[in-house]
Amino acid sequence: MMSLCNRGQGPGDRAQGLNPFERIASSGPAPTPYLCSAGQNPAISLQKLLSFSLLLIAGLSLAADPTTAATANPTDPLWMVGIKAFLVIFGLLTAFAYMTLIERRLLARIQIRQGPNRVGPNGLFQPIADAIKSIFKEDIIVARADKVIFVMAPLISVTFALLTFGLIPFGPKDAFFGYDPWVIDLDVGILYVFAVSEMAIYGIFLAGWASKSKYSLLGSLRSSASLISYELALGISLLAPVLLVGSLNLREIVEWQYQNGWLVLYMLPAFAIFLLTSMAEAARTPFDLPEAEQELVSGYNTEYSSIKWALFQMAEYIHLITASAMIPTIFLGGWRMPGFLEQIPLIGGLFALPFVWMFVKIALFLFFFIWVRGTLFRLRYDQLMVFSWGRLFPLALAWFVLAALVVAFKLPTATLGWLSLLSLLVFSVYVTLTAKPKPRVTPRMGAGD
Amino acid sequence: MSVGLWEVLALLLLIGSGLAVVRLQNAVHAALALIANFLVVAGVYVALEARFVAMIQIIVYAGAIVVLFLFVIMLLSAASANVGQDLMPRLPWVAGLGAIGLAGLLTFAVTRFQPPANAPALGGGLPQALGPLLYDPEKWLYALLAVGFLLLVATVAAVVLIEPERIISATGHPAHPRRDKMPTPPMSEQKDEKAVVKR
Repeated sequence: MMSLCNRGQGPGDRAQGLNPFERIASSGPAPTPYLCSAGQNPAISLQKLLSFSLLLIAGLSLAADPTTAATANPTDPLWMVGIKAFLVIFGLLTAFAYMTLIERRLLARIQIRQGPNRVGPNGLFQPIADAIKSIFKEDIIVARADKVIFVMAPLISVTFALLTFGLIPFGPKDAFFGYDPWVIDLDVGILYVFAVSEMAIYGIFLAGWASKSKYSLLGSLRSSASLISYELALGISLLAPVLLVGSLNLREIVEWQYQNGWLVLYMLPAFAIFLLTSMAEAARTPFDLPEAEQELVSGYNTEYSSIKWALFQMAEYIHLITASAMIPTIFLGGWRMPGFLEQIPLIGGLFALPFVWMFVKIALFLFFFIWVRGTLFRLRYDQLMVFSWGRLFPLALAWFVLAALVVAFKLPTATLGWLSLLSLLVFSVYVTLTAKPKPRVTPRMGAGD
Repeated sequence: MSVGLWEVLALLLLIGSGLAVVRLQNAVHAALALIANFLVVAGVYVALEARFVAMIQIIVYAGAIVVLFLFVIMLLSAASANVGQDLMPRLPWVAGLGAIGLAGLLTFAVTRFQPPANAPALGGGLPQALGPLLYDPEKWLYALLAVGFLLLVATVAAVVLIEPERIISATGHPAHPRRDKMPTPPMSEQKDEKAVVKR
C-alpha cells in the first residue's frame, strides 16, 4: 500500500499513538474511502517484484539442489520421482475436492440435516460445481491491499501444504510397480515435516496482513500466537518416539513398529498430545481461532474471493489429510496391518495389500477430525494458549523425560507400555475427581466477572 | 571444491536477498526477504551435507524467529510504515567499512584454512552422529550446558522485565501507572463498552 501511494493518508497514520488494536478498531469506520488515484498508482515497483521472485526462486532452488535430489531418493530414477510427485499432488487435490463433500455430508448427518445431495447422485458432482463456481467468480484484489503479498499468500499456503505428503511411505520397498511407494525418503524426515509446516503458517500470516482489514489482521495475529503456543508441544511430543526408535526417518519408524509393536502402545501420552496439536496445526475445530466465522468473519481470508479463497481452503484440507497420514505413520504402524490380523492365516494373506491399510487409517482419522468438528465448540484464543503452554507443554516434557530415563537406563521397552497405562489411569482418576458440573457460563468481558 | 551452477546461484541469491533485507522500505517485505535468505542458507547447508543443521536453520530461524519478528512488526505501528526512510546518515559508511573488514578477514581465513586430517565423519550431520559429539563430557558438554544456562537466565530476565506490576507491589513505587497513560479510546468505542456492560 505504502509504495503505491504517498504516506500519511491512511487511517493507520491518523491514529498513530494508540495501541494497535485500538488503531485497528478505529480504522474500521473510516470516514474517507482510501483509494489511490490513478496517477499515484504505478503498478508494482520493479525492486519489489525482483525481491519476491527471489523468494520463490530460493524455495525452488532449495528443492532442486542436486545434493538433495541425490540423497533424498537414491534408488529411483528422477522421472519416476516426478511421476510420483505428480500422483501425490493430483491425489491430494482430488481428495481435497471430495473431502469438502464428505465433510459437509457428515456434518449434516451429525446435525440431522440432509447436506448437499442435489448435484449428481448423492451430491457426488458437488465438488465439481463448487470448483467451477469458484473459478468463474470475480477475483477481487482489495484496493488498499499490499498487492504482491496479497497474491502470494495463498500460493505460499498451498505450496507448503503440498510439500509434506511425499514423505509418507505407503508400502514396502518396490511396492509401486517395482518402484518405491514414497516420493522422497529423507533421513531427517520428521524435522522436514516441522520445517515445512512452520513455513506454511506464513501463508495465513501474510494474507491477514496484506488484506489491510481489521478482521484479517486479527485472524493472522491469532494464527501466529497459536502457532507459538502449540508448536512447542507438537515438537516435544515427537521427541520421545524418535528417542525410542533412534531415527528421524518415517520409513524406519514404520519398520521399528513392525518389529516391536505400534508406538501408540508405548507412547500413549505422546500420541494424545500429537493428536491434539495436529488439530491445532490444521486449524480445525476446536482450535480454528484464526478463521472464527462468528467473531472474525472467517479471519485471515475475509478479503479473499474466487480461486484465491479456494486455494486457502485447499491448503487447509491438505493439512488435514497430511495430519491424518502422519499420525498413523508415526504411532499406528504406518502402512502395516494390525499384527494380530497377520496371525490368522486366511485374512493375513487376503488383506496384506500394501496401500489398503494406509488408506483405511487415513480415512479413520479424517472421519475423527470431522466428528470432532461436528461435536466440539471453538476454544477462545486465551484458552488455547493456557491449554498449550500450561497443560500440553509440561505433559509432553514430562513424558519425554520419562522416556529418556527408560532409554538411558536401558530398561525393557515394555516399561514404557506400563507407564502409558499408568498415565491413562492417572488421567482418568484426575478427570473423575476434578470434573464437576459448572453452573456458570463462560464469563464475558466487561460483564462484571 | 568445484564451483557448479548451484554455488553460483546460491551466491547470487544470498547477496540479493541480503540486499533486499537491508534496502526494502517496508518492514514486512524485509522480513520476507530475510526468510528467503534463511532458506538459501539452509540450501547451502544441504549442499554441504549438513542436513540436520539445514532443517534446524529452517525451523528455528526461518520459522520461529521470523514469525516473532513479524508478530512484533504487526503489533507495532511499523506494520504500515516505511521504516527504512530514517536511516542514520553515517551508518552506511560505518557498515561499509565493517563489511570490507569482514571480507578481508574471511579471505585471510579461507586462504590460510587447512582442513583437519582426521575430521570425524558426521554422516550427513545427523543427530545420531552429532549427539555423541555434543554431549560427550570430554568434548563440548560443558560448553553446551553453559550456553543453555545463559539462555535460561536471559529468558528469566525477559520475563522479569515485562512484568512491572509484581515489582511495583514489592517495592511500593508505582513507576508505571498504566491506566493514566493510556490514551482515551475514541467515542465510538466507549459507547460500545457501555453497551456490553448493560447487556
